[in-house]
Order: sequence, then structure tokens, then C-alpha cells
Amino acid sequence: MPVRCPSSSFFLIALGFLLIVVPVSLWGGGAYTQVALAASLSQESNPGEPTPQMSISDDTCLQCHSQPGLTMTLDDGDVLELNVSADEYAASIHGKQGYACVQCHTKVGNYPHPAWTAASRRDTTLALSTVCYRCHSSQYEKAQDSVHGAAQASGNKNAAVCTDCHTAHTVRQLTDPKTNKLRSESHVLIPQMCSKCHNAIFQKYTDSVHGAALIDENNQDVPTCISCHGVHNIENPTTAYFRLNSPQICAKCHTDKKIMAKYGISTDVLTTYVADFHGTTVSVFEKQSPDAEVNKAVCFDCHGIHDIQRVDDPVAGIQLKENLLLRCKICHPDATANFPSAWLSHYAPSAENNRLVYFVDLFYKLLIPAVLGGMGLLVALDLSHTLYTKYRKRKPAPPPASSPQTPVEEGQNG
Amino acid sequence: MADQNLPDLSSEASSVPETPVPATTSAVETKEKYLRFTILQRIEHITFLLSFTLLGFTGLPQKYANSSFGQGILAMLGGIETTRLIHHFSAAVMMVISIYHVMEVLYKLYVERTPWTMLPVVDDIRHVLQDIQYYLGFRKRRAYYGRYSYAEKAEYLALVWGTVIMGLTGFMMWNPITTARFMSGQAIPAAKAAHGAEAVLAVLAIILWHFYHVHVRNFNKSMFIGTLSYEEMEHEHPAELAEITARKVKSALSLPEIRKRQRIFFPIAGVLTITLGFGVIEFLTIEKTAITTIPRGETAAVFVPATPTPRPTPSPMPTPDQNRPVGSDTWDGFYQALFRNRCDSCHGATQVGGLSLKTYQNALDGGKSGPAIVPGDPDNSLLVQKQASGSHPGQLAIDELDKVINWIQTGAPEK
Repeated sequence: MPVRCPSSSFFLIALGFLLIVVPVSLWGGGAYTQVALAASLSQESNPGEPTPQMSISDDTCLQCHSQPGLTMTLDDGDVLELNVSADEYAASIHGKQGYACVQCHTKVGNYPHPAWTAASRRDTTLALSTVCYRCHSSQYEKAQDSVHGAAQASGNKNAAVCTDCHTAHTVRQLTDPKTNKLRSESHVLIPQMCSKCHNAIFQKYTDSVHGAALIDENNQDVPTCISCHGVHNIENPTTAYFRLNSPQICAKCHTDKKIMAKYGISTDVLTTYVADFHGTTVSVFEKQSPDAEVNKAVCFDCHGIHDIQRVDDPVAGIQLKENLLLRCKICHPDATANFPSAWLSHYAPSAENNRLVYFVDLFYKLLIPAVLGGMGLLVALDLSHTLYTKYRKRKPAPPPASSPQTPVEEGQNG
Repeated sequence: MADQNLPDLSSEASSVPETPVPATTSAVETKEKYLRFTILQRIEHITFLLSFTLLGFTGLPQKYANSSFGQGILAMLGGIETTRLIHHFSAAVMMVISIYHVMEVLYKLYVERTPWTMLPVVDDIRHVLQDIQYYLGFRKRRAYYGRYSYAEKAEYLALVWGTVIMGLTGFMMWNPITTARFMSGQAIPAAKAAHGAEAVLAVLAIILWHFYHVHVRNFNKSMFIGTLSYEEMEHEHPAELAEITARKVKSALSLPEIRKRQRIFFPIAGVLTITLGFGVIEFLTIEKTAITTIPRGETAAVFVPATPTPRPTPSPMPTPDQNRPVGSDTWDGFYQALFRNRCDSCHGATQVGGLSLKTYQNALDGGKSGPAIVPGDPDNSLLVQKQASGSHPGQLAIDELDKVINWIQTGAPEK
């Protein structure tokens, strides 16, 4: 007991201290995000002076890592570049905001560095990019759920991780922090990023109507990769779901009157598609079973995927029935020259376009009311006469015993 | 009116048909039953009715696929593809029953010489006008309908017209590639427009016209039980009743005569049926419109890394020439510069391991593990020990290390 008393009172004091300090520090500490911490770390460190072990300044790292040719040979023979350009890093968004090397490179802060275990350059990238989660957890988790994340999880090391797109030391700020929208100069960078891995598709895109407008004119209306595929949670575009949902992706812009007016493109493309056999089927499936495999044509089956051309393109434009027939034949191998005109080319039937359909519609617009009107008139007359005679018969006198002569008498009365 | 005189059908009293004389109606005569539809005709009607109903029920939700009504029915039927299957099956049933009907009509006309009472005649227009006069009170009673009233004839004509239109347009939609071989492709969407509009017309006409005349005004059960009573006949087909009672209707033909005509009819009808049956099979199978697989997607390979930018050619930091004529073999003359260039990243400002090699004194003091340089004793100098292992991050070249060892051996002079 005499031994326990001092220790338990010490315990109580410590507990009381914690009760006061912890809530205060948690409450006040909320404001100190890692940004603030980073700023204090990088600004307070004074180059040339010995610095506390916790905050190793970038200058410390750069004493070695600014040396050109500083490399390390990994187990598989890959040469790992260890040189970082201080100027380039300073120009990056992280450099501008004063983030220190050690904030990302958390496990190499002490010297000598611990032994580097990654066996290849790719493994190095994979290991190091996990650190992005510390600040960008939302985007990181989205990327984990994406087609890239799924490929990584299934063992495909080539699948993109953060730094594959954003780079490690030259990360650019692509969005305007005020509007949270892409900066006008960012659009053109996106296909370049994706092209690092998807170069064959990128080449197709650059020749498409969208890609050419982006690259040649920095057109801000045309879609970049992310407009259709999403940003961090890029979904697998080869699924049944993606296929079924794809007309809605195209419709985002192509039913936007403001954008389409600039280029003289009809915004009826979705409604005319849905009115047709293909579109009706696709839209019903989309609503009722969005994961179903549906082979009815969607936008990209006719217009192309990454190589979309103008419909009046002199070479490949599908306005020309011969070009469209080639597209028809993908699904309808036996189709012949007349077959493409079964498609109404996104024109609602009118006296100018699709006259035959228009006149059939018109014929029935007249026939149906005429036939039903005639029938309805006779039915109405018969019904009202029946009710009238019934009423007349009931009111003045109770109906006589059933007799075949009755209608004749009524007719005389009426 | 007729519904005032609904016959008591529960009394199945029609026994021996006595001569019905409308002028002097006796109780026995009014219990007479008049056959209107044979059992085969009734089966035909039920089959057609079922196929029609199924076609309407599966067709209209396809026409209005994006309305909540269409969505609901499509979901109930198990999706649009299943709905189409039911629709196509029902269409096949209707085609078969229609061929049967054509054969039946031809048989009646040629073999039995039945009068073509379904054919519209000028009298029908008169009947319509008479009925209108009756409704408006200018006439004592309805027109005297024959075997088929104008209402029935109109319906039958509409059905024939509708079946032909639906069959033709249905074929064009079912077999668009074959259709496009013979006409403009635009005929296919036109057929679709006609098929849908005709369907609306047919269904509404059935509800408005057919239901009113045989279910609402007077429930005419003859299509299910086969017969009409005397009273019903009197109200619905008075002219026919009069003809029957006046024995104007020819009695059955002589058996040999029928046999003779049958011998001619059956082979022709057989060939015709086979031809039309073949037509139905062609209708269903003439073309394979589309592939059953998913059309190919992007054909370009997905993972095609762009050629990476080559690494910059390393340009190592210059180190002092150890054989340079100027400078002596002292800390100040050579080793300070050597260590600054090779070791300063870690053993300069940051003093990794507590060791700085900035000044001679720093080197003698050493770091946590002990002095880096022990003058005269290279073996106990930590700098030599670390460098001799060959794996220190800032590794000196072999001849540089030899030079350092020699320098320490000679007492590591500062100046």
C-alpha cells in the first residue's frame, strides 16, 4: 500500500492532465492540417544550420539528390534515377506550397537510408505512390475502386497509380481551386497523360474530330479522356454496364443546346435514337437491367469510339450511305446497299426528311380519328337511345311483361 | 330493347325444331336455338382472340417502351427481349389461324356454296342511315339486319385489313435485310410506324366497337355457345330470321355433289396451305438479321506505353585531381575539398550519425561511434573502416582511399 499510493496519485494527475490536454489539442489541432505543418517545416528549417531530426529540410536531401547522375541499381538491373531537379520541384504545386521531401518520403528521412527493398523501378513507383493517400485519400480511394485499381489488385503492375499520371515531383495543379473546374490550359494535358500508357488509343484520338479540335485549337468543348471515362474512379469501359450507359455519356454534351449551337449539331440525337429500334431496346435495358449484355447498337458502334469523325468527313463520314453500310455490316453482315436508309439519320420524320415515314404517320393520324370517331358516334347514339328509352319506360309506367312488340312501340313514342 | 328480353339460356329446351313462324310466336318456337358458329369456328375465334390479345399486350408496351405503362408491362413480362419472343410467337399463331380461316372461307364458298353474307353491300349503308334515323326518333325500329349486321361486317373487314397490314409490316420489321433488297430501307421505319399506329387502331376499335356491340349492349354468347335464341335472332338478325322462317335458305346440298367439289377443293387447298405454311416458315426464318454477339469495341491495344524519355546522361561532379601539382598532402591542401565533395551531403550540415567533416577538428572529434580520423592509426579511423567496406553511400574511389590511408599513416597533417 505505501508503495501504491504515490504511483496511483501520479496516475490520477496524469489522467487529469490528459483530460485537459487531449480535448484542447484535438479541438485546436483541427486547424493544423498537414499543409500548415508542412509550411512550418519547410519555412522554419534554416539551411546551413543543424536542424532537428524531425524536420530535415529539402536542402539536406538535395545535397545528394540534386546531383545529376545519382542513381541506384536495383535487384533486377533497373537503374533507379535518384536525381530530383530542385527547380522543377519548386515549380510543381507541392513545391509552390512548400511541401518538404520528407513529407512524402517518410521512410528515408534518416541517413544512412534504410536498405531499399523494391526489386524494380516499377515496384519502387508502386511502393512510393501509396503515400499520396496521406493527403489525397478521397482521390486515392476512388482510384483504388477504378479499373486501374482493380487491375493492380489482380496483379497487373502496369496499371496506373497516382504518379503515373500526375508525376512524382512535377505535379501540376489542373483545376482552378475557386471553381474546381479544369483550367483552360489543362484540357490538352489530359490526353497526354493517358497516352503514357494508352498510346495506341491516343493516336486514334488525336485524329478524331474531338482530339483534333483539342490539340489543334485547344477547343474547350470537346471531350478529353476524362469527360467520358471519369477522373479517378475510371470504370472499366468493356463492361456491359458501360456499353448500356454509353449513350448517356455522349448525350451529356450532345443534348446541350448551348454547346451544340456553336457547331450546328442537332440536339435531337438522343430522342431520335431512343425512338428507333436500337435506342428503344437499349433505353429499356438501361432502366430495367443495366448490367445486361445488349448487342443493339449504341452511339459508338456507328460513330466510332476514339476515332469519331465528323459525319460529313470527306473520307470516313457516315453521312455517306456507303460508309454507314460498313458500320451496319459489323452487326448485320448480310446488309445490302438499301439497308442503311432504314436508319433515319437522327432526323425526326417530316415533309423534308424521311417523307415516307412522315406520310404513314400522317395517314394514321387521320385514319384513327376518322374510324374511331365514326364508330364512337354510332356507339354513342345507340347507347344514349338505349338509356333514353330505358329511362322513359321506367318513369311513366312500370314496364309491361316482356314482349317482342315493345321496341316498335317505343320507337313510335320516341 | 333487346336487353329487356334476355333469353333464359339456362333452360336448354331446344329439342325438335318446330317451324318458327314469327307472325304467330308460340312458346315452343321462341325456345328454338339458331346455330351461328360451329365448334371449329368457335375454337378459331378463341385462338385468334388469344393471339390478338397477346400481340396487343406485348406490342403496345414496345411502342410506348419509355412510358411508365410500357416499362411496367415490359418488366412484368420479363424484359423487352422476352416480350418480343411472346410477340413473335403470338404472331406465328395468328398467321396460322389466318391461313386456316382463308381455307375455311374458300371451302364454304366453293364446296358448300354458302352465300357470302359477310360481304358489305349497299344495303349496309342504308342500315346505318336507318339506325341513325331510329336513334333520332324518325324511325320506329332498327334496320332489319341480315345474317351479319353492318357492325359485324365493319369489324370483320377491319380485322382482315388489320391482319394483312400487320402481317406485311411485321414481316418488314422482322426481316429488314430481305425487305431492303426489294425496296428503300426507309420502308422499314415506315412499316414500324404503320404497325404501331394500326395496333392502336385495332385495339381501340375492339374496345369501342366490338366490346360495345357484343358485350355491353347485349352479351352475345353465340361465339362461345354457338347459338342464338329466337328472341336474340329477332333483335339482332331479324331479316335472317325472316328468311329462315320463310324457308328461303336452301337446304343442305346433296352429298354426291359435295363429294365432287371436295375432290377438287382438297388438293388445291392442300397445295395452297403448304405454300402458305412454307410462307410462314420463311417469314420466321428467312434471314438472320443480326449477329448475336456483342459488336467489337475498341480495337486498339489498351496498354501501349509511349517511349519513355531517355534518362539524362550522368555528368558526375568534378573532384579535385589528386595528382595536381599545387596543394600539399594535408587537410587544407587536399582532404578538406575531397570530403566536402564526397561526404558533405550527409556529413556536412546535417551531421548524419553526429559526424561532420567540415573542419579538421570536426573530423578528429568524430560522431556518435567515435573519431573519424585517428592520426597515425588508419585501422582505428572510422572513416577508413567505413570506406573499406566498400558499400558506404558516399564511396571514395580506391586510389582516393589509399591516399587517405597514407595521409593518416603519416599523422594526418592539417596544414
